[in-house]
Amino acid sequence: MDGYAELRDYAVIGDGRSVALIARDGSVDWLAWPDLDSPTLFAAVLDRAHGGRFLLRPRVPYTAARRYLPGTNVLETTFTTAGGTVRLTDALSLHDAASLAPGRELVRRIEGLAGSVPMRWSVQPRFGYGARTPHLARRAGVPVATCGPDAVGVCAWNAGQPQCTADAITGQFRTDTGTHALIAVPYAHQEPLVLPTRAECEARLEHTTATWRKWTQERTYTGPWREAVLRSALALKLLVFAPSGAVAAAATCSLPESIGGERNWDYRFSWIRDSAFTLDAFLKLGCAPEATGYFWWLMHASQLTHPRLHVLYRLDGGARAPERALPLPGYRGSAPVRVGNAAADQLQLDTYGEMLQTAWLYTTAGHRLDADIARRLAETADFICAIWQQPDAGIWEVRSDPEHFTQSKMMCWITLDRALDLARQQLIPGRHAARWRRERLAIADFVDDRCFSPRLNSYVRYADSGDLDASLLLGLLHGYRPPDDPRMRGTLAAIQQTLQDGPFVNRYLGSDGVPGSEGAFLACSFWLAEALARCGRADEAGRLMDQLVALASDVGLYSEEIEPATGTFLGNLPQGLSHLALISAACAIGQATR
Amino acid sequence: MSIWAALAGGFIGTLVLTTALRAANALNLTRIDLPFLLGTAFTSDRTRAKALGYGVHFVNGLLFAMLYYAVFVAVGYSSWWLGTVFGLVHGLFAATALVNILLPLVHPRMGAPHTSAPHVALLEPPGFLMLNYGPRTPTVTLAAHLVYGTIVGLFLAWPG
Repeated sequence: MDGYAELRDYAVIGDGRSVALIARDGSVDWLAWPDLDSPTLFAAVLDRAHGGRFLLRPRVPYTAARRYLPGTNVLETTFTTAGGTVRLTDALSLHDAASLAPGRELVRRIEGLAGSVPMRWSVQPRFGYGARTPHLARRAGVPVATCGPDAVGVCAWNAGQPQCTADAITGQFRTDTGTHALIAVPYAHQEPLVLPTRAECEARLEHTTATWRKWTQERTYTGPWREAVLRSALALKLLVFAPSGAVAAAATCSLPESIGGERNWDYRFSWIRDSAFTLDAFLKLGCAPEATGYFWWLMHASQLTHPRLHVLYRLDGGARAPERALPLPGYRGSAPVRVGNAAADQLQLDTYGEMLQTAWLYTTAGHRLDADIARRLAETADFICAIWQQPDAGIWEVRSDPEHFTQSKMMCWITLDRALDLARQQLIPGRHAARWRRERLAIADFVDDRCFSPRLNSYVRYADSGDLDASLLLGLLHGYRPPDDPRMRGTLAAIQQTLQDGPFVNRYLGSDGVPGSEGAFLACSFWLAEALARCGRADEAGRLMDQLVALASDVGLYSEEIEPATGTFLGNLPQGLSHLALISAACAIGQATR
Repeated sequence: MSIWAALAGGFIGTLVLTTALRAANALNLTRIDLPFLLGTAFTSDRTRAKALGYGVHFVNGLLFAMLYYAVFVAVGYSSWWLGTVFGLVHGLFAATALVNILLPLVHPRMGAPHTSAPHVALLEPPGFLMLNYGPRTPTVTLAAHLVYGTIVGLFLAWPG
């Protein structure tokens, strides 16, 4: 088409620190090293011409089929040509304690399965989001690209003689039945580059496959849509930043919410908004270390800004995320390409409810809260008592004027409700419980007086408005009202009538201060399925879930949004919230049908 | 100048250093919590870790005071300002090597740049100058160590 792959055609691999996007044509079009939120080495998904990539594919026409090796985040692409078949296995290798390993490493194994296939490859490293062209040289016979504190090597075995051109390292070779080739890209940041041997790379690839498989086998989920749930768990695990325990919202930045539009955001941060779903998913999947690590990170990260919460925090726990535009054309001309996220400084009242809900879930799993955290949670409840009457930007981070968003108020109610329950269990200090109780009642009065439309028989997007918002479903999912509450049932019906289109659900239809439109928000579809299940409509929920599971890419991944008419993926990927919502919905439907 | 003076100075100095860091923590100036970092090397129970960490931190404070004493004896001179200089070196060592590099290597629950899936850290790595714990962390830590060094120097320079 225009040189850009469909977003649906990207599979992801990762190692718990960084993530790479690989297109169906074998091109690694996104890779940020050393960390998930670092500037990129490959960013062809945002700039086909100059972003940098690692291309590896047959030199003749082919068809490609892909899958993950079962239970792993190791990708297998099979190219079939008129002359033969070749299998490509891709992984970001996991550390193998037995050998001295590079700081980071991309491994690509090429196996001839049948016949003879001419292959070509090209590594075009572009550090710093394509801004910095590296210096290419040979070290110990290995082509190495260096740029400031960063260096990558290209180690090729049976993959042709690497050639250094002005800005790329390239090679050509031919596979025959039974032949094996291997290309490894070791990386170093602020340290000498480790050049691995072929045997070490092969061993690490096996170790990586076995490690992922073992991790998946330890998951405890036995409910419906098991394949989809486990793939979502694996996708979610790729977003866990292992050095800190933070969970990124997505692995990429500025993949557009509408092609050619300007709704392009950096999602390589951890959103408080997602915290309750994240912890809940970890607990339901039997990921106790991830759950504890995430909760500890959450409490550490939010300490500096306490009692105020930022909307998002960096993966290293920092609170600053200044937004700027990069001089890149963007995916299919979708500019600006933004890094950083200005939403960090917004007031979003729902985040406080998410944090208390997260802490509450953490304690229901049998964990205790230490005195410092307990005190801070109680102070958070006090803080909400003081600020809940303020308008905010809402869960969707609108850039229009602040409003009294209903879902925000509902989550303020959740803040105080969970605080009261934690205090009742003597897990947090309850000295101000009477005030919490009083303000909780005041919030409920506000929501039921100002945020409910008798005409629509539904809660509305914000106070005194006539619009709907799919985030109102979260009021039901988090327990603002029980599922049999007439107003909640009315809201569910109104959302289905107004925002649902087949399996797709729009977030809202009103304005949000940003020009342009967007696709259907996938998490909202899963929320709807879960809400239906909780309201006793499990069959309907199951049918919707079947449709949603079928919308995944060929390797089981979801982006943030989908264009309903074409099924085109939109937004950053893999999108943690989409996969979290899938896990939560599958568990709820499974429970409802049990 | 005696071992007892060094131990007394180490105890008081560590008390002040720990309290200063705790105060900075409560004022949202930094997220560093040295007793917590040390205690979690032995247990993942947060409450026990803090109690244990305080003990370990005081032992460390006494050991460093003995080191100050040994150097003062070696150079044959002691004063509060020399203690301050030692505190400066001590603080820089803590920020650049001890907590930043050495602790993550031996701490079973702390992340490091090479931590990867399937593992997940319970504690984020401190980063260069411990900046991951907040931009004011180096300043706060250095100031606390300057005070520690000054106190140890004062005790060791005390006539008697």
